[in-house]
Amino acid sequence: MATVEYRNITKRFESFEVMRDLSLSIADGEFAVLLGASGCGKTTLLRMTAGLETVTAGDLLIDGLRVNEVPPRDRDIAMVFQNYALYPTMTVAENIAFSLEIRRVPKAERRRRAEEAAALVGLGEHLARYPRELSGGQRQRVAMARAMVREAKVFLFDEPLSNLDAKLRAQMRFEIRQLHDRLGTTTIYVTHDQIEAMTMADKIVLMRGGTIEQVGTPDELYDRPVSRFAADFIGSPAMNFVEGTVEANGNAPAFVAEGIHLALPVSLTVAPGSPVVCGIRPPDLVLNADGSIEGRLVLAEKTGPDVQLHLSVAGQDFIATASRDAAVEAGGLVRLSVAPDKLHLFDPQSGRRL
Amino acid sequence: MTVHSASRRRLRIVAAWSVVALFVFPLYYWITTAFKNARDIFDQPPSVWAFDPTLKNFEEVFGISLGFLRQQEVLPGGGNFYMAPRLWDSIVVAFGSTVLSVTLATLAAYALSRFPFRGRHAFVAWVLSTRMMPPVAVAIPLFFIYKDVGLLDTYAGVILIHAVMNLPLAVLLMKSFFDDVPKEIDESAIIDGASRWLIFRRVVLPMAKGGIAATAVLCFIFSWTEFVFVLTLTQTGLKTVPVVSSSFVTSTGTAWGNMAALGVAAMVPAFVFILLVQKQLVRGLTLGSLKQ
Repeated sequence: MATVEYRNITKRFESFEVMRDLSLSIADGEFAVLLGASGCGKTTLLRMTAGLETVTAGDLLIDGLRVNEVPPRDRDIAMVFQNYALYPTMTVAENIAFSLEIRRVPKAERRRRAEEAAALVGLGEHLARYPRELSGGQRQRVAMARAMVREAKVFLFDEPLSNLDAKLRAQMRFEIRQLHDRLGTTTIYVTHDQIEAMTMADKIVLMRGGTIEQVGTPDELYDRPVSRFAADFIGSPAMNFVEGTVEANGNAPAFVAEGIHLALPVSLTVAPGSPVVCGIRPPDLVLNADGSIEGRLVLAEKTGPDVQLHLSVAGQDFIATASRDAAVEAGGLVRLSVAPDKLHLFDPQSGRRL
Repeated sequence: MTVHSASRRRLRIVAAWSVVALFVFPLYYWITTAFKNARDIFDQPPSVWAFDPTLKNFEEVFGISLGFLRQQEVLPGGGNFYMAPRLWDSIVVAFGSTVLSVTLATLAAYALSRFPFRGRHAFVAWVLSTRMMPPVAVAIPLFFIYKDVGLLDTYAGVILIHAVMNLPLAVLLMKSFFDDVPKEIDESAIIDGASRWLIFRRVVLPMAKGGIAATAVLCFIFSWTEFVFVLTLTQTGLKTVPVVSSSFVTSTGTAWGNMAALGVAAMVPAFVFILLVQKQLVRGLTLGSLKQ
């Protein structure tokens, strides 16, 4: 177990800079998720941690030691790849024990540890099989067992669930998190899927264009996104955004846009008259006969437990999440309200939270 | 299945067999020629099915008597005019050059596939360009070089030049097979702690077996059929099948029967070799280690 620390990391491929002055620290035993769209540098950061990419500038520390120049084999890390990267010509047991074989662990112990690791991921009776004889989920489990058998300091996961179908993905999410809780190994997990990040992470590192947009717990990212980008990235369905201005009615500030008038928290420090972007999460839009927002229902999308209301408010599209028994009909008018503390205001230019 | 589709199916089978016949017939005719007397060979119209089979051609070509107590016939011109051609020479040369070029090509191709270095693409193009040179153009200079270094008329000399001729294609072919092995597998092994050599030997090489087999077949066949270099770089020390075959064309006529007999005999080792590597040839390359 170990901490991982990135100090002013810069990464260039040839002359192309993909990461600039990135600093981040991951605590011992933490499950950190690097989240971001493709090309944001999250996989590059992971590969630098593994030692598969060099660090152009800055310091990378594992367990307090600078490892920039340490080869992967001596970093004591284990990695699970998106496409599993199992050795096709070896059995499950050989796959799992390969790293031990390289380290000249005696055969009997090798077998014992491989069996242990396989049992931990529920592959106990498949040890003699070849990867090609396993399903996608089973292959993923072999990859995990292979990482665990090493008892490495840090586990690295590179989008390990992208190749699985939705149902299996949900299950593996749970299994990976459970394994982490049991083993307590520091884990860095890369994904572009905000649901994986929200459900698994102790700490989410939201990345954008080679820099960190926001670091925090899933709740922090959901409740207090630091920017419009972060607000938009987290949450499904995505946050509604409306452009408008802040107006002050005495000491009761309000957000005003066409057809919308919403009371803001009194504590707000935005100067009256400032243009702002207001973000509202769909579940925070509540059906309320006295609500200040009036919209026409375009479509009601049933998702099972609840219903997504696609609304047109003064010509703008809104999505609200309501319970399935909400009495609404397509084409009809509905009124909605939002609690003042559920409003997120962003600067229209910089996109930063106000 | 309807009557209609059944008759279509039958038609398709007939068509398939016709194509097979088209390709097999020349082979059949060549093989039967090897077992024909000169009279039957020159029959007009050609005797395709009916002829008196004989082993005479084989006996002459190999200088041995195959029949029961049959006397070796003396050829016109006196003695065993067609010296027993050394099929063995062909086997040694083809096998030797195949092993040499496949070994070198596999190592080179893995390096080209995995290690980025300045000018890698240019290097690959340059490797291929050496194959574009016509053998005839270098045969004569090579003759003098070989004469000076004492490689003329030796197994080593012929094996070397055949391996060199095969290398470019073998390297490119093996590189494409290694390129198909996902680099994540290498990386996974790197993180597991394996050295480059161990990764190559234990992880990547077993996955590229199919590619090695395909490359070996190609090299073997090239060497087996190569003519110009063997003709120019050997005298009496060794002769491979194609060169011996050409000696059947003489000023007094072409010994078709002997040529066919040698050809048929020459098919056997090549056939056996391909049969041996066939299993590897058809094996899937990545064997399901990755989700496609």
